[in-house]
Amino acid sequence: MSFLGKLFGSKPDPVLYSPVKGEAILNDQIPDPTFAEGILGPTFAVDPKEGLIKAPCDGTITQIFRTGHAVTLTSKDGVEILIHVGINTVDLKGEGFKPLVKDNEEVKKGSPLIEFDIDLIKEKGFSTIVPIVVCNPTDFESVTFIKPSTVDNQSQICTIKNKK
Amino acid sequence: MSQEIIHKINDPRGMHARPAGQLVKLLSSFESKVQMSVAGGAAIDGKRLLLVMKLAASQGDELKLVFDGPDEEKAALDTAEFLKANM
Repeated sequence: MSFLGKLFGSKPDPVLYSPVKGEAILNDQIPDPTFAEGILGPTFAVDPKEGLIKAPCDGTITQIFRTGHAVTLTSKDGVEILIHVGINTVDLKGEGFKPLVKDNEEVKKGSPLIEFDIDLIKEKGFSTIVPIVVCNPTDFESVTFIKPSTVDNQSQICTIKNKK
Repeated sequence: MSQEIIHKINDPRGMHARPAGQLVKLLSSFESKVQMSVAGGAAIDGKRLLLVMKLAASQGDELKLVFDGPDEEKAALDTAEFLKANM
């Protein structure tokens, strides 16, 4: 942060960590065009090796989906994030998912949000790929995800620059 | 003046993430402001995806959209068509 930034109290740029442990993949490998083409916003995707979603930053739960297959949260610095567990998993109607938070609950980076059964979801014929989307990119100067690599909740996956 | 449309959700899955995202993308392409509400509840900004998803519109719910701005007529027509085809 610049001297002037400090003087006028501008905020540090937001950072997101991976909400799940696994292998990140290229967006064009996400088996759903909505996520592959980033229609909902800049997107990052992880092939999970552990059935636990953790908060990618400090913030507040905006919505835990009734079926437990997705969660949205708003970071304390205003980043609106969607974490969608698996593809088309709305059709499982909650089977294989255990939501661990409630709407409007405050969370810290690393707080457990959703438990999910990787084997069961795969047995039912669904992809378990976890897309992570920044839904309000126009509120920021830029949103940049890292290149795919092995990630966990200690891995910084996204750098966001505040508008000047 | 403003334009208003009401659409009853037909999809048994309700308005889940993908159609909500496609709808917000369409709405964001219009200059007009869009207020959205479900079954007479509080209206939210239809261009904000997290708020639209949080409406959690279910099958049978009436989704109301009010457009206000220079392209409100086209926005209402295009949106009504999208809703009929997708939810």
